[in-house]
Amino acid sequence: MFWYKSWLDTRWRFLIALVVLTCSAVLTVFAYPKVVALLPAAANVGSGALGRRIREIAELERSYRGYVWVQAFRQTLTQLGVLFAVLLGTGGLLPSGSKDTALFTMSLPASRNELLGARVATGLAQLAVLAWAPALVFPLLSPAIGQTFTVGSALVHGACLFVAWAVFFSLALLLSTSVRGAWGPALIALCAAFVLAAVDQAAGGVAAYSIFAVMSGENYFRTGALPWAGLLLSAAASAAMLYAGSRRFARHDF
Amino acid sequence: MADPFVIETVELRKRYGGVEALRGLDLQVPPGSIFGFLGRNGAGKTTAMKILLGMTRASGGDARVFGLAPGSPRESVDIRRRAAFVSEDKGLYDSMHVGAMVRFTASFFPHWRADLERKYLRAFELPPDASIGTLSRGMRTKLSLLLALCRGAELLLLDEPTSGLDPAVTEQVLQALVAYVADEATTVFFSSHQIADVDQIADRVAIIERGRTAVTGALDDLRRDYRRIQLVFDDAAPDAVFHAPGVARVRRSGRVLTLLSSAGAEQVVDEARALAPASMDVFPVSLKEIFLETVNAEE
Repeated sequence: MFWYKSWLDTRWRFLIALVVLTCSAVLTVFAYPKVVALLPAAANVGSGALGRRIREIAELERSYRGYVWVQAFRQTLTQLGVLFAVLLGTGGLLPSGSKDTALFTMSLPASRNELLGARVATGLAQLAVLAWAPALVFPLLSPAIGQTFTVGSALVHGACLFVAWAVFFSLALLLSTSVRGAWGPALIALCAAFVLAAVDQAAGGVAAYSIFAVMSGENYFRTGALPWAGLLLSAAASAAMLYAGSRRFARHDF
Repeated sequence: MADPFVIETVELRKRYGGVEALRGLDLQVPPGSIFGFLGRNGAGKTTAMKILLGMTRASGGDARVFGLAPGSPRESVDIRRRAAFVSEDKGLYDSMHVGAMVRFTASFFPHWRADLERKYLRAFELPPDASIGTLSRGMRTKLSLLLALCRGAELLLLDEPTSGLDPAVTEQVLQALVAYVADEATTVFFSSHQIADVDQIADRVAIIERGRTAVTGALDDLRRDYRRIQLVFDDAAPDAVFHAPGVARVRRSGRVLTLLSSAGAEQVVDEARALAPASMDVFPVSLKEIFLETVNAEE
């Protein structure tokens, strides 16, 4: 029954995230005709770094698949997804984060690993829904604007989002076993994400191997091959952080 | 052979950083007793209970519940399967309704007492569809007690169960507890600084002060053994030293010398006669007096 409590503790964060991410995917689909109309103007932008960047994006967006990747998988879902993964990771390790309700929970005949396991399982299940639901909007709604997006691509991009988001979920969960307060762990995890994104921007060629490249499924988009190394590394990082979180939780004094 | 004590601690210690919450707690709680655990705020009562349930690790000493070690993660689960705990703040899940909270708790206990659930829902007038976040402190306490009593637990650990309740609800809670213990083979270990509550229902007590057991025993024995002996002198009371066993406290105020004896009055009276007081009276001592004398003596 711990899964039920975890669900109650995180359901509003999850439902808000689901609505926001799904709506953003729907808007992305129906904005495409307007974006296509604006693409010729991109050829006339200046010659500086910004102009080069705009032309590069415009070039990618000439195909519907490129447009979806740039707008949704590389941008909106990546940025918002990290935020929601962190919020889900910090919400509800102990009920309502309250010391008082923690005593009730800890008085139940279950091990701490069972409690943490239910919390992790619930959180990862929620992340999976958050990853695949907006991704599947594209194959479902694209015919409405005369375009197609394969279910296979949506599933692969959803998997990349899920595995990479799980890293931030695990980081937030680890921090919530170590840092007191409801918002401290979330802020630290978001700062870590911001630093990683900044490093990603500055790193140039190495950025292809970054967590954000895995999250956006860039390798799959450009070459059609799954980023196995990045996925495995991300999964290993998540597992290591969850293990560290469970060790800290096991030693915690209530 | 069955363990002679449901709870046994020997020199139990707990340190939080530089603060010693427990400094050698010795407890022996026999099965079937209603054991009052008395102490001031911050004396270490809650810490001791958390250690007994495996929520907090002891820094030293030994603790056993049903002969099991609460410091072992596996054995602590067994302890919590056989024991029920009500925390002082009665923390429950505000996002649930009463009925959902009951079903949630029941799912952890194969021997959940549905008959008692119905009985206490009715007796405590707890509406199953009421949101827990909207319950008053009294209703929250009653629900916490229901969740503890229906587990079919062999041991109830109650941390300040009547704290913050009005006298009517306090009486209802205590009566429910006494009635439950009369019907079921259960041991109750409850902490309180409400001496009247302990006096009303406990058969054994321990007084804890600054993390140590200061007094422990059957309440009837304490009432029989503790005596206050008041000596009044014609002039200022002498600065006497008593060698009789059990002299727990000597207080001198003007012409009056007051002694608290924890081992009967006879030997102290014999020794006091040698001081030639103008008058000497021996009084029985209430639990409240024992408590106050004990915690004041520690200061």
